[in-house]
Amino acid sequence: MNVDSGLNLMAACYGAGALSALLARWSGRLALSVGHLATLAGAVVGLGVSLSVLLGVPGRTLTQPLPALFPFARLSLSVDGLSAYFLLVISLVAVAAAVYGPAYLRTYSPDAGPARQATQVLALNVFVGCMAFLCCAGDAMTFLLFWEGMTLASYVLVVSDDRDGENARAGLLYMVMAHGGTALLLVAFLVLTERAGAFDFAALRAAAGDLDGTTRTTLFFLALVGFGTKAGVVPLHVWLPRAHPAAPSHVSALMSGVMLKVAIYGLLRFAFDILAPVAGPLPSSWGWTVLVVGTTSAVLGVLYALQQHDIKRLLAFHSVENIGIILIGVGLAMILWRREGVGGVLATVALTAALLHTLNHAAFKGLLFLGAGSVISRTHVRNMEELGGLARRMPWTAGLFLLGAVAISALPPLNGFVSEWLTFQALLGGAGRFHGPAGLVIVFSAAMLALTGGLAAACFAKAFGVTFLGRPRTAHAEHATEAPPSMIVGMAWLGALCVALGVAPGYAMRLLDAPTAGLLHGPGASAVVTARGPMVLSAGLTASGTAATAISMTMVTALLIALTAIAWVLRRGSRRGPPRAAPTWACGMSPTSRFDYTATAFAKPLRFVFATLYRPRREVIRETAGTPYVVRRIHYAGEVVDLAETQIYHRVQRGISSLSQSIRARSTGRIHGYIGFVLAALFVALLLFGVDQ
Amino acid sequence: MSAETVRTIIDDLGALLLFTMILILAAGQIYRAIYAVAAQSLLIAIAAAVLATATGNTDLWVIAGITLTVKTIVLPWVLHRVVRRMNVRREVEPVIPVAATLALAVMVVVMSFHLSATLGPVNQAITGNALPVGIALTLLGVLVMATGKTALNQMVGLFASENGIFFTAMAVTQGMPLIIEIGVILDVILAVLVMAIMVLRVRSTVDADIAGLDRLKG
Repeated sequence: MNVDSGLNLMAACYGAGALSALLARWSGRLALSVGHLATLAGAVVGLGVSLSVLLGVPGRTLTQPLPALFPFARLSLSVDGLSAYFLLVISLVAVAAAVYGPAYLRTYSPDAGPARQATQVLALNVFVGCMAFLCCAGDAMTFLLFWEGMTLASYVLVVSDDRDGENARAGLLYMVMAHGGTALLLVAFLVLTERAGAFDFAALRAAAGDLDGTTRTTLFFLALVGFGTKAGVVPLHVWLPRAHPAAPSHVSALMSGVMLKVAIYGLLRFAFDILAPVAGPLPSSWGWTVLVVGTTSAVLGVLYALQQHDIKRLLAFHSVENIGIILIGVGLAMILWRREGVGGVLATVALTAALLHTLNHAAFKGLLFLGAGSVISRTHVRNMEELGGLARRMPWTAGLFLLGAVAISALPPLNGFVSEWLTFQALLGGAGRFHGPAGLVIVFSAAMLALTGGLAAACFAKAFGVTFLGRPRTAHAEHATEAPPSMIVGMAWLGALCVALGVAPGYAMRLLDAPTAGLLHGPGASAVVTARGPMVLSAGLTASGTAATAISMTMVTALLIALTAIAWVLRRGSRRGPPRAAPTWACGMSPTSRFDYTATAFAKPLRFVFATLYRPRREVIRETAGTPYVVRRIHYAGEVVDLAETQIYHRVQRGISSLSQSIRARSTGRIHGYIGFVLAALFVALLLFGVDQ
Repeated sequence: MSAETVRTIIDDLGALLLFTMILILAAGQIYRAIYAVAAQSLLIAIAAAVLATATGNTDLWVIAGITLTVKTIVLPWVLHRVVRRMNVRREVEPVIPVAATLALAVMVVVMSFHLSATLGPVNQAITGNALPVGIALTLLGVLVMATGKTALNQMVGLFASENGIFFTAMAVTQGMPLIIEIGVILDVILAVLVMAIMVLRVRSTVDADIAGLDRLKG
């Protein structure tokens, strides 16, 4: 497909989708269907565009001017390998969300008025369209415009669903944090545009070449905090576990699976493409900071996820974890890139791992959010403790959720394993190239990544077990039924992606060629990782490839299937007599669903181990009948705190309120006084600075 | 038109603008202040038209048209309506005596002229004394806001101050980009509309004006 016309077509699809909100005048359901259909069309066109760039002539950048909206900036789109790759990630998840969306919205809120449906359709199309075109932006102005559009549209979606106070607060927090981050980005970009005298990225690149080291590093850290706020790295993540669960589930999938990745795109574009020095490695403070931040986010994200009982909040915390894993790869690539004697192809491996994990996380996190959404649309309950026993009632959802859970826990043969394996290879390879404390940091990071994988598995054992296994704990769970087919199809699309990327990742490496080669000006991903053919992944650490670790996911899968089959056959052969159904022995009591393992109980050992981190609060009230031996009722309440929230945000909050208290004591409240004060200040300023010159 | 004629016309218009400003400052009744500010806007529209013919900048014609419709007719009408709807005493109640206000105004005007004398490069041939007049109008508008007791006075003050900004921008740069001028006008329209609605609402629910706002302070 011609890329120029593809972009036009994509814009037309999303525009038509946004306009279809007008159909809600006649029928809200019609607006929902048409709007999501337009999103689907836009996403499919986006897939076509991105694939044609990724598989087309390498190293080509396509630019397309946009109509001039401002007298001071020329707007343009520019698609290169990196843009196309992120466009691919966005489109893949958007396809699933568009298929899944209408049925979900109809079942979750059947009594929603046409106004709300129109808002959701409009905001969804604007949201997805802005993300898609953000990755194709060719200048800072376009980039920031779409960035802002993405933020505003997602805010509308966050507050659109349940109109209660908590959603409104989550939306407000999101809005404040997002705009704080955008403000820093604005500063970073405007410093460059002011030097360049133009907005397009090529001019910024040229302007960045003349920067001195301090300014360059300052700009990078501004951008890191700005993009990090959107990506939800610790400690800037506080908005994420509140805002993501509040949105409709397919939007949560888009926000967690895709929107965070757009921030990663921004960081890669800004650091590697625009701000990087013309020659030589990146300043070493950049990569190490990103590595440490990534490691912290990964570990803390999964630790906080373990203690969540709201299924969507749990998934949102896992996004913090996975962004951490992606940033570990990015940080490592920054450290190793162009560094004499240590870098080489290892930087490519690290960046490949990060980019592949971006795609993988989009697939499995999207799948998990859609799975959670299909549970929620049927039960209207988000607390896992009130679910249970859904595997029998919603078999398809349960199976697909399990698939996603295995993938996110980085277990073979699914896709999460592949990218974490590559991250490990890059870390272990990198650790060997540095000596002293630097090497230790990398080894520590690898150890933390291993811990993260283990904890994620524990967390999803809890999430899946408590939600889908056992017996239903409430009537909501008991009367649940399977989700409608279109929702299953949406999930199955992402599930298939997880399996395909897990079983045959070598074939996906071709897609990573253009972004890695374009960004690092070195060999492409497939030349390094699949040097021995698409069936074998290797880190390619030495030229001959002899000392390199290698793995064939296809063989691993075959082996796993064979082992399972053997175990099944053996077990079948050893079975004597037919199975007999009998009631469970429970010491003379009849077992109820309250006997099942709860989520709180499951996470308790870890709550003990990491008590310094969680600062758990626990309250047990016993109601006894006369004597202490007859307990009528036990009331248990417990919670853990988010350390970033209590240690950083609450302190800032207290500081601001005490400051405003002291200002309040000095203000008169008389408006004339204030205006007079402004006038006098103007007067004095004019006299001081105006006359002297 | 020769440059000399334009310069004379702009200077005369500047004098008239300052005169309308004095009228606003000294107005005993709110209606008079509104008429004065409408007249001021009319003068600005004329100034824009004169500059448009002199410089051949077509954007200035658009600006003159917008100023004439919006600031000379629509906004004064809105203010007039608010006064009628509020149905309150129409006398202006100054915070400080009118004589003191006028003395302050004289100081502001003198300082503006003194200030602009030092800003050589900006003082362009065609615009003559427009710069000090613009600065004076802007600051005097704020003075109106500071000395008026009711919200209506402050709306008038904001309006006049904005006229000053407009005159300065127009005279000094001979027409800023159209989008910026339109943006400034939109700002004022919105501000006046929002304030008008607020004033009516506040008046109808709690029967208080901004002088009573200090009671809100905790």
